[in-house]
Amino acid sequence: VCVLCFSGSGFRWFRSWVQTWHHSSSHAEVTSHVAKPEGPTIGIYNHVLGEFGEKKKKKKRRLATDVSAGFWLGVEWDNPERGKHDGSHEGTVYFKCRHPTGGSFIRPNKVNFGVDFLTALKNRYVLEDGPEEDGKEQIVTIGNRTVQTVGFDSVIKRQSQLNKLEDISLRNCAVNGAGDKGGIATACPHIRKVDLSRNLLSSWDDVIDIADQLKDLEVLNLSENKLEFPSCSTSLIGTFSALKVLVLNRTGITWAEVLRCAPGWPVLEELYLGSNNICISERPVDVLQTVKLLDLSSNQLIDENQLFLIAYLPRLEQLILSNIGISSIHFPDAGIGCKTSLFPSLQYLVVNDNQISQWSFINELDKLQSLDTLSCVRNPLTAGSKDSQTTRQFIIARIGQLKTLDRCQILPEERRGAELDYRKAFGNEWKKAGGHQNPDKNRPNEEFLAAHPRYQFLCQKYGAPEDGELKTQQPFILKNQLLTLKIRYPDQLDQKVLEKQLPDSMTIQKVKGLLSRLLKVPVSQLLLSYESPKMPGREIELENDQQSLQFYSVENGDSLLVRW
Amino acid sequence: MILFGVNLLRSTFPLISYVPLTRECLSIHIGQAGIQIGDACWELYCLEHGIQPDGGVLDSKKDQLDDANVEHMDASFDTFFCETRAGKYVPRALFVDLEPTVVDGIRTGKYRSLFHPEQLVSGKEDAANNYARGHYSVGSEIIDLVLERIRKLAKQCSGLQGFLIFRSFGGGTGSGFTSLLMEQLSIEYSRKTKLEFSVYPAPRISTAVVEPYNSILTTHSTIEHSDCSFMVDNEAIFDICHRKLGVERPSYASINRLIGQAVSSITASLRFKGPLNVDLIEFQTNLVPYPRIHFPMTTFAPIISADKAYHEELSVSDITAACFEFSNQLVKCDPRLGKYMACCLLYRGDVVPKDVNAAIAAMKSRNSVRFVDWCPTGFKVGINNQPPVAMPGGDLAKVQRAVCMLSNTTAIVEAWARLDHKFDLMYAKRAFLHWYIREGMEEGEFSEAREDLAALEKDYEEVGQSF
Repeated sequence: VCVLCFSGSGFRWFRSWVQTWHHSSSHAEVTSHVAKPEGPTIGIYNHVLGEFGEKKKKKKRRLATDVSAGFWLGVEWDNPERGKHDGSHEGTVYFKCRHPTGGSFIRPNKVNFGVDFLTALKNRYVLEDGPEEDGKEQIVTIGNRTVQTVGFDSVIKRQSQLNKLEDISLRNCAVNGAGDKGGIATACPHIRKVDLSRNLLSSWDDVIDIADQLKDLEVLNLSENKLEFPSCSTSLIGTFSALKVLVLNRTGITWAEVLRCAPGWPVLEELYLGSNNICISERPVDVLQTVKLLDLSSNQLIDENQLFLIAYLPRLEQLILSNIGISSIHFPDAGIGCKTSLFPSLQYLVVNDNQISQWSFINELDKLQSLDTLSCVRNPLTAGSKDSQTTRQFIIARIGQLKTLDRCQILPEERRGAELDYRKAFGNEWKKAGGHQNPDKNRPNEEFLAAHPRYQFLCQKYGAPEDGELKTQQPFILKNQLLTLKIRYPDQLDQKVLEKQLPDSMTIQKVKGLLSRLLKVPVSQLLLSYESPKMPGREIELENDQQSLQFYSVENGDSLLVRW
Repeated sequence: MILFGVNLLRSTFPLISYVPLTRECLSIHIGQAGIQIGDACWELYCLEHGIQPDGGVLDSKKDQLDDANVEHMDASFDTFFCETRAGKYVPRALFVDLEPTVVDGIRTGKYRSLFHPEQLVSGKEDAANNYARGHYSVGSEIIDLVLERIRKLAKQCSGLQGFLIFRSFGGGTGSGFTSLLMEQLSIEYSRKTKLEFSVYPAPRISTAVVEPYNSILTTHSTIEHSDCSFMVDNEAIFDICHRKLGVERPSYASINRLIGQAVSSITASLRFKGPLNVDLIEFQTNLVPYPRIHFPMTTFAPIISADKAYHEELSVSDITAACFEFSNQLVKCDPRLGKYMACCLLYRGDVVPKDVNAAIAAMKSRNSVRFVDWCPTGFKVGINNQPPVAMPGGDLAKVQRAVCMLSNTTAIVEAWARLDHKFDLMYAKRAFLHWYIREGMEEGEFSEAREDLAALEKDYEEVGQSF
C-alpha cells in the first residue's frame, strides 16, 4: 500500500497499491507477468509525485484503456474521482483498489518518487549553483518595474549555513525519507521546529529516522502525509525526548495508533489530530499524561461517550472540538450544581461549528471545575437566533466561572447584567415550578432545577425576583393604555349600562364632554364619581375638571357613576 | 545609495570588523489610544526578545545575545531597550496622557516594573476630546515636563535615530498634544526622524463627535514635522477581528494586539538589526516621494484565528497574495481606485528568497496593482529572520512566517476626503466650534487647516496623474 502525489493544477493525493510490470506488445503478456509472482516487479513505491496536467491526464486514460506497449504503474488515488477503474482492465485484475474508480495506470517517467530530507532541505535553503552572484542577478520585474530586494544575499548566506538553522519548513517538498544514516545529524543538528506537512513520507518509521537525528526537536508538523503507523507498540526512548508539539492533521491516524506511538512522546504538550476520522476507542493509560492541548477538530466520528475516555488526562487545559458534530454532553458523576471530577484542568474549550441546540449542553459545562474560556460560535443554539446578545447573556449566566466567551472578555458588569436578566427572564417559569420569594417555601421542582441549575444560586446572590419584575411589559401603544370602564347611572336605572375604553390621561372635563354628547345632558349638570371592585361601598368623587383619570387612580374594570 | 555601498563592503570583506553603532529609537505613546497600543506593543516586544515583565532576560535568550555581540549578528535589544547596571532592560519609551486613568492602567498592570516611573507621565485634567485643550490650555502645562523626560531618555542613547510616536487622530490628547510635542521635537531634534503610528477615526465607529475637527487640525499642524505616518483605522481592524478571527465584539485589547503585531513587523528590522537585516529608514526613503505624501497604508498577513493553529499552513505566495486583499488592510480604502507610488514588503520568519521572488512574480498577473508612471522601481522587499511571536492567550495563531506590506498609494486620499467631508458638514454650521474658541483657538485656524487638507487631496491627485 502506498501513497502517491501528483502535481498538476495543484497537488492531489492518492493512496495506491503499486504494481509495476513490463508490457511488451500484447495485453496477454501483462496478465502473465502479473499472474506470476516472479514477474518483473520493480518494487513497491511508497510515494510518488507525478507531473500531470489535465490534458495529459486525459491522454493517459486513453492509453491506459487500450493498454499498449510500455511500462506502466498502477496507482490508486486518494481522491477516487481522479481514477478510472478499480485496478482491473478487461477482466484482468492487476491490483486492487478500495474504491471502484480509484485506480489509474500511469507512465513511470511522469512519476516523481520524492527526495530525501537533506536534499529537500538543501533545495530550499541553499542555492544549488555555488557562486552567490547568481542569486543577485535574479531580477524580478512587475510590468516594466524591477523589484528591489534588500539584504537578500545575506539572508541566503545565513540560511545556507544549515547547522545554524533552527526553524525550518519543508512543506510540499516531496520528502520521502531520512536519506543516509547520520546525514541529518551532521548537517543540521540544531533544528527545533520542522514543518514536514504535505510530503511523501509513508511510514512512522521514516519519521523516526529523521527525528532520531534531531535531538532538539520541539515542534514537528506531519500533516497531510499518508502515514502508516507501526502495528505493535514501540518503545523508543530518546527519539522524541524534547518534542513538545506534534501536528498530525489529515494523516489518517487512528486512536489506537496514537496510543501505540504515545509512549515515545514523554514531554508532549500539544497534540493536533484534526481531520483524521478518529474514533476514540480506549482510555489513554500512562501515556499522553503531559498533554496540555488536544485538537480533535473535524473528526466527525467522535461522540460524547468517547470524550469521557480522555476525561482523565490530568494536564489537559485546552480542548478543541470544532466541527465534530457533537450535540450533547452529560457528566454523569455530578448532580445539579456540583462539579465533576472529569477534565480536572480543562480551562479552554472550543466547540465551534457543532450541532449544539440544547441549553442542557451549556448547563453541563458549568460542572467543569476549571473552565474559564469557551468558544461556541456557529451552533444552532447561538447562530440561528435573532438575538445573539441574549444568547450570549444566557451562556454567561449559566456558566458561573466563565471569564471569556467567544474571545470576548466578560467584565464583572457584564456578568452581573447577564445574571440579572437571566433571573428575570425565567422568573415566571420558576414561580410556576414552585419557586417562592420566601426561602422556606421555595421548592422548585426537579424539572426546573435540571433546566436551570444555577437559578437557585442566582436567587441567593441577587434575591428572588419580585412579582413586579416578572410582569411582562406590554409594549407602549395606545391600545394597551386604555382603561375599560363601565358607565352606570345610579339615578336613572332605566338607562343601559355602557362600556367605554378611555385613555388614563383623559381629563375629567373631556370625559364629561363625551358623556354629555352621549346622554344629551349639558356638561354643567353632570356629576362624576367612580367606584372600584377593590374598595366595595366607597365612591370617590371626580370633582376637579382639570385632572385626569389617572390622578384619581381610576383602574381597569372600575365603574364610572354618572348623575345629573 | 551610500547604504547600499556599505552593505556591499560588508559582504565583500567580511573580515573587516566594525563596531555596530547603536541607532536607538525612542517610542512616545500619547493619549489613550497611543498608550494602549504601546502596552500591546511592548508586551509583544518583550516576548520576542525574551524579556520578562520585570525587565530580566531569559537565560536562553541571554546566550543568543552574547553570541550576537561576538558575531555582530543580532545586536537586538539596544535600539529599543536600555540596559541598566543591574542587567535589566528598560524600554526606551515614554507614556504621556493628560489624565491619569489610562497611565494608571500601566502603573498597575502586568508590566508595571518594566518601566521606570519617570517614563509614565500623566496630568490631572483631561483633554476632553478637544484639540484645543490638548494643544493649548491643558497641554502647555505638561509639555515642559515631557520634554525634560525625553531629554533624559535621549541622553541614554549613543546615536539616537529617531522617534516613533503612537497616537490617535480623534482624541484630544492624541491630536492636540501630539502636534504641540512634534513642533517642539522639530526644534530640539531637527535632524532626527519622526515616524508616527496614527489611529484614524473610524468612519462608522466613532467615539467623539468632534473627531473630524481634531483629525484635520492635527494633520495640518504635524504634516510639516512628521516624516512618515503609518495609518491604522479602527473600523478596518474591527472588521478583521470580526470576520477573520471570529471575535463577536472585538474589544480594544483585541484591536490593539493586532496593531501590535503590525507594528512589531514594521519595527522588526530596527530591533533585530545587523548587516543581515533591512533598515526601516531605507524603506522610508522609498516610501515617501514627497514630504507631504507620507501616509503609507499598512497591510498584514496572515491573520489566522488561534483556534485554527496548524490547520492552515500558509506559504510565502499565500501570504503575499493575501497582502493585496482588501480584507487584510488596516485602513479602509480601495487600492484599485488609486495608483501605487511605492510598495514595501517586510517578510519575517522562515522565508526563503527564492520563494519571495516566485511569489512576487506571480503578482505580475494581477491587474489591480498599478503604479504611477514616474516611479522607477515598484517593489522593495526585505526579509527578517525573526519569526513572528503570538501572544499567549491572544486571538492570533502562531505562524512560521508573516508579511507586512507598507504601500504608499494614492487611494488613501479616499480616507482624507471622507474626513474632510465630515469636517465640512459641521464647520458649515460652525457646530461645536465654541468648545475650541473657549480654549483660546481662533476660527481662522480651522479654515487654514481645512485649506491645507484640500491641498493635500490635490497633491495626491497630482502625483497620481499620468504624463
